[in-house]
Amino acid sequence: MNADELQAFEDEIYAFVGQEVYPPTPAPDDVNMPMIRQWAEIMGDTNPAYLDADWAANSSRGRTIAPPAMMYAWGQEGFQVTKGRSPNAQSNLVALFNKHGYTGVLGTNVKQEYFKEVSPGDNVTIQMVIDNISERKTTSRGTGYFFETLSTFTDQHGDVIGTQRFKVLKFIPQEQPAAAASADGGLEVPTRIASVRGPDNGWWWDAVDEGKVLIQRCKSCQTLRHPPRPMCGECQSMEWDSIESTLKGEVLSYTCVRYPHVPGYPKDPICAVIKLAEGTNLVANVVGCEYEDVSIGMQVTGKVEQVDEKTTLPQFYPA
Amino acid sequence: MSEYKTRSPEDVSVGDKLDPVAIDITTGLVVCGALATRDFEPVHHDKAEAQATGLPDVFMNILTSQGLMTRFATDWSGPEAVVKSIDLQLGAPNVPGMVMTMSGEVTGVDSESGVVDIKVLGENNIWGMHMQGTVQLALPKEA
Amino acid sequence: MVANVKDKAVIVGVHNTQFSKNSGVSELNLAAQAVKGAIDDAGLKPTDIDGFATFTMDANDEIEVARAVGTGDMTFWGRSHYGGGAATGSLHQAVMAVSTGMAECVAVFRALNGRSGHRFSAGVSEGVMTADIIHWGWYMPYGLLTPASWVAMFTQRWMHNTGVTKDALFEVAHQTRQYAVNNPNAFFHERPFDRAEYDAARMICDPLQLFDCCQESDGASCVIVTTPERARDLKQPGVAVRGVAQAAAADQEQMTSFYRDEFAAIPEMEIAARNCYEMADLTPDDIDAAVIYDAFSPIVLWQIEAWNFCGAGESGDFVLDGALRPDGRLPCNTHGGQLSEAYIHGVNGIVEATKLVRGTSLNQPEKAVNHALVTSGVGIPTGGALLGKLD
Repeated sequence: MNADELQAFEDEIYAFVGQEVYPPTPAPDDVNMPMIRQWAEIMGDTNPAYLDADWAANSSRGRTIAPPAMMYAWGQEGFQVTKGRSPNAQSNLVALFNKHGYTGVLGTNVKQEYFKEVSPGDNVTIQMVIDNISERKTTSRGTGYFFETLSTFTDQHGDVIGTQRFKVLKFIPQEQPAAAASADGGLEVPTRIASVRGPDNGWWWDAVDEGKVLIQRCKSCQTLRHPPRPMCGECQSMEWDSIESTLKGEVLSYTCVRYPHVPGYPKDPICAVIKLAEGTNLVANVVGCEYEDVSIGMQVTGKVEQVDEKTTLPQFYPA
Repeated sequence: MSEYKTRSPEDVSVGDKLDPVAIDITTGLVVCGALATRDFEPVHHDKAEAQATGLPDVFMNILTSQGLMTRFATDWSGPEAVVKSIDLQLGAPNVPGMVMTMSGEVTGVDSESGVVDIKVLGENNIWGMHMQGTVQLALPKEA
Repeated sequence: MVANVKDKAVIVGVHNTQFSKNSGVSELNLAAQAVKGAIDDAGLKPTDIDGFATFTMDANDEIEVARAVGTGDMTFWGRSHYGGGAATGSLHQAVMAVSTGMAECVAVFRALNGRSGHRFSAGVSEGVMTADIIHWGWYMPYGLLTPASWVAMFTQRWMHNTGVTKDALFEVAHQTRQYAVNNPNAFFHERPFDRAEYDAARMICDPLQLFDCCQESDGASCVIVTTPERARDLKQPGVAVRGVAQAAAADQEQMTSFYRDEFAAIPEMEIAARNCYEMADLTPDDIDAAVIYDAFSPIVLWQIEAWNFCGAGESGDFVLDGALRPDGRLPCNTHGGQLSEAYIHGVNGIVEATKLVRGTSLNQPEKAVNHALVTSGVGIPTGGALLGKLD
């Protein structure tokens, strides 16, 4: 698209700002108990404000209410959308984006505000407009435009019960997303990133799998060393054996890794450098307490534990 | 009816954490959640249509995510709380087989109005952040 | 014995591309722009360049950069390893080549799409460091995956040992921000901040918060190194390399030297500092300004001690006395540093140190800058250089 074509395209999309997607349209059904009950069952919501007329009668509201998050549901178009939606300003705008290569779609933000609670017997009217369209932006998904719809919900008295702002990115897809599913279509639950096992370290991890933390020892001068290496830095001997650690130790330093959260890991893992009673240092997790409870100099005791489907690691607890 | 407690603003402090809740994302929850919110978009009930968009299976509609998050907030607050707003940034889809964990922390308490801000996060175990943002509740003041 | 390279190589041209969060162009494109810009700054022709020095981590082949820029025949190419430890490491390569006659004009460059491409904050999980995979395996399964997490582990212990508080970390972060406010190419141009904003930013890895961590940037920087003879005929006043050194100390790991008797320390930088001062026949008192590698705010403090601007554990007080400010003892990271200008792996720092000696920094201190220090990243094998006016 050259500069003139881009200008023409943008003129065309920005003309949609302010257009009505839905004129004020009353919901086909009033707010009603069967839909509320079904919604609450599926959401696992046992809130008596929605479900228990006796409780509600004695509550400060004096009546049951509909779950606020159902606000948008009352006026939804219904089953006919499986055969396609009837054209409106939003679908026309989307079609225009698609025609120019902005085929990617991503809902990025949704905000509902509630001003008045509604109860069975009330009726909700929805009105939706295209509120704004951003300038052209480059995002990690690709180049495109954000457009935002504003829906306003009123009841049968004309009172505004709430609003919804929904922001969508229409973009030129950069590349196909990586295949998210394994070959049979099932999902693979991520696990911690495994340590690669080579000739010099594999035996150490194999021992962890067996529930033991070993410390490499020079057969010639008895010096302990960790992480394992093929030669003793003290006497250059290549002969070694190992001892099993008692997993008693002291925290030399620690941190809580809060960002980024990597799939397969617990949230906010605490990692520490631990001086083992045998004298070598080991990096491992501290678990069984809050970050605030960890300190330098703290005594810890380790256990070798399976931490996910595929990973076994030493984990240290406050002693 | 005293079996349901509702927190008052005096009970709540900035930094309070909500006990996390884990939700199994099943095909049933995705499909039935879509229907309960009258969202008949095929991608929420028809696996072939969902796969045509590049995802492995049907995925949760936004209205269900909003429903689960407000439930998480009001389960914590108690039934007399009034939901004022839910403001979410949307992330990775929820697809059957995942587990979504919702967590939250109180970031603001206005003792005057009783309005509390809760920073919330719904994160699935495969792709990470599904939704994050703020739920605002008005808590009833001490009777 | 310390190598005798004093004043045998001179920086004659420097250039930064535009820094951004999404360059929209290839890393080769950025490298070519940076090299060409530095050649122009020097008043040289592309065909004058006969050598290149960069990082092992750089994705650009020297011969591709050479063809893109049209530099002609090449007699030297050398790379330095260990991430940001290669900042002055690549300068070190260039100085060795020029001072021995292996090449006459060497372009030192680093080009990366560090925000729109691979991000360092993503950690080592993405398989970029396959040669080191056994090493990272001691940390990855626990979640200790990112540069911030490794540096946090050192910082926590160092603060415990010295009693230095976040006041000093804030001062480092804040002062780079103040400098960046005046730098149109800085990410934080015209965006000052205060302690409240710093404190409110999210925790990354305790005790490091967002503004203790550098930018992730797209961009490239280049400096041209040549002989003193050639330098005297060129457009810009020459900036001589008085001393340059690299060092790895005993029991060194990449970012995780957790097995030393006291690991909250950077002995490798102390070696580099000692050798640099000796080579240059200078002392800390001779150094008027500095560009100290600031991937994270606390590492600036450790380096101030390693380069002997104050005693061990005193760097907190040193910076809180205003030393890093324009009128301070050691105006530092006057471009905004990597915390606030851009993260170009320290080569933008060599550009800035050169400008400080030329007297053309956007935040040029009022006092004369006869000598400036520039350093590489720490926690890894590292180094530094002392620059001065060409006599």
